[in-house]
Amino acid sequence: MLSLVSRRVRNSLVLLVLATLLCFTLVVSAPGNIAVLIAELRSPNASFADIQKIEEELGLNDPIPVRYAGWLTGALTGNLGISYKTGEEVGPALASRIPVTAMLVAGGGTVALLLSLVFGFAGAMWPRHWPDVAGRGVALLGASMPSFFVGALLIYAFAVELRLVPTFGLAGPSSWILPWITIGLLPAAVLSRVVRVGLEEAMARPFALTAVAKGLNRRAILFRDALPNIAPTYINALGAQTGVMVVGAVVVEPLFAWHGVGDLFLTGIRFRDFMVVQACLLIFISFFILLNLLVDIGMIFTDPKLRRQGS
Amino acid sequence: MSTSSPILTVRDLCIDLFTARSALRPVDQVSYSVAAGETLAIVGESGSGKTVLNFAPLGLMPLGVSIHVSGSIRFDDKELVGMNDEALRKLRGGSIGVIFQDPMSALNPARTIRRQIAEVAELHLSLTSTQAEARALDLLKMVRMSDPEARLRQYPHELSGGLRQRVMIAIAIAAEPKLLIADEPTTALDVTVQAQIISLLKDLQKRLNMAMVLITHDMGVVAGIASRLAVMYAGRVMEYGPVQTVLTAPRHPYTMGLIDAIPRAEDLPGSAFRGLPGMPPVLGPPIPGCAFVERCRHAVATCETTRPLLAPTADRHVLAACPIVNRSSEALHAG
Repeated sequence: MLSLVSRRVRNSLVLLVLATLLCFTLVVSAPGNIAVLIAELRSPNASFADIQKIEEELGLNDPIPVRYAGWLTGALTGNLGISYKTGEEVGPALASRIPVTAMLVAGGGTVALLLSLVFGFAGAMWPRHWPDVAGRGVALLGASMPSFFVGALLIYAFAVELRLVPTFGLAGPSSWILPWITIGLLPAAVLSRVVRVGLEEAMARPFALTAVAKGLNRRAILFRDALPNIAPTYINALGAQTGVMVVGAVVVEPLFAWHGVGDLFLTGIRFRDFMVVQACLLIFISFFILLNLLVDIGMIFTDPKLRRQGS
Repeated sequence: MSTSSPILTVRDLCIDLFTARSALRPVDQVSYSVAAGETLAIVGESGSGKTVLNFAPLGLMPLGVSIHVSGSIRFDDKELVGMNDEALRKLRGGSIGVIFQDPMSALNPARTIRRQIAEVAELHLSLTSTQAEARALDLLKMVRMSDPEARLRQYPHELSGGLRQRVMIAIAIAAEPKLLIADEPTTALDVTVQAQIISLLKDLQKRLNMAMVLITHDMGVVAGIASRLAVMYAGRVMEYGPVQTVLTAPRHPYTMGLIDAIPRAEDLPGSAFRGLPGMPPVLGPPIPGCAFVERCRHAVATCETTRPLLAPTADRHVLAACPIVNRSSEALHAG
């Protein structure tokens, strides 16, 4: 098992190095000269000499490998360059925004986890009765509405009409609820179906009949026999949905005026602030690689066949 | 054969299955009884209703099928037909243990052997989890597993078919049932393992004084373990009696055909299989006469119209549902 985990870790590290290369290449090969952009920002009538000076400052004339090495060592120490738009350091700006996005995704993940387990389990416990039908309805709604629409709807209902929570901003628990639900609803919908369908499939397998023959009741069979069998599938789907939520943060953060990484990324793209885009990409990709690693390890721990491999 | 009063008595049991599209009767007026320490073998070809007969009244049927059971099943002075679900659930795994055909799929792949056995003892013997796990170890010793401590920590996929079936048996006997129902317990195993499992079942039965119902189509298994035999065809019992008598002197044309179809040592290599000509009837509309009439060499006109009931033959211990052959054999014996 340990060798299996260490193999996954090693693969992830290789992937991470490749990802930094990709991030770097993306910006290097982006159309337009960054130096021109900056020169124009500094003074509207910059001369050719000014542009050359900036190119020299940024090290744009160095050979590519040297530039990559410089960028990578900078990135490792938290120095991600300077924003072309604001002139601020990208590193600290990013660092202040990561907790916001992490809070959003973690909160949304919790909503998704709870809703999907409750609805999925209730549906499997009483198939074709009202909890199942209700769960299916909510799942259909959640899966078919885009998050900006859900968010707007929630804001209108709970913030504008009922005045229960603030419309936007990040100030205390009451302001967390709507963004969490907005970002967690789609994953909750998808995952509740994973639970519901997975449990039903497990209940149709012969070992479930053995459990009936043991005299266990349906709830015990669902918990003890069916649930462990869907754990690897569920962890896999949860990982994928966490990815969906990180992407969703790009939409949900601006909607609620949360200054997270998604919001920064969007602003970066809008103003062609390549250093910001590059830094955000690096964070996103690193997170996805870490996420995949965690999912792999989670599956190794929940699937006995994988767990015993290589031990 | 034990002469004590039977622990399980089945009388005129009919089971109707209703699916979305069809209604059928896989079990039609079946009667038998089993005493403690006794083994009844139920034989018949696939689809003859032997599994439904035993599992449907216990609530062990796949989902999506609605079942109607009529007749009577008395087990341990309780009537099982019409019993409420909760009472029935307490019997399952407690006084009634079940062994399934395929040990490859009957165990949960995601749970340890320890938990799968121990939970039965927790549920029915009200043991704590520590006590139940100690009992799981005893049970693995009882079913003669090598290295039982290590086995407890393992998962089903790490065990061979024979070992898995031993685990299944340990689960079935964990609460010391009064009745053990074994549905083709050796069919999925290879021949050498079959013999071990059968002798294990025999020993356990003696030790726990269990009544046992063995569903099989293997006549070798029947001869090795059973004391009484019920031969089923198309949901009906065709012949019922002591194993020795029925196997050596079958009274019903179907039993004759079934026993004749067993390959013999004196058969020449490459010689054709002896089978019964024709196919079993498709279950569906009720058959007014004898279900075997299409394939029967001895059939007469009344066989088509009148259903023969299970009746004592010349040997009163043997019951057969065939007036034609019994009458002629009586005539033969008389003459």
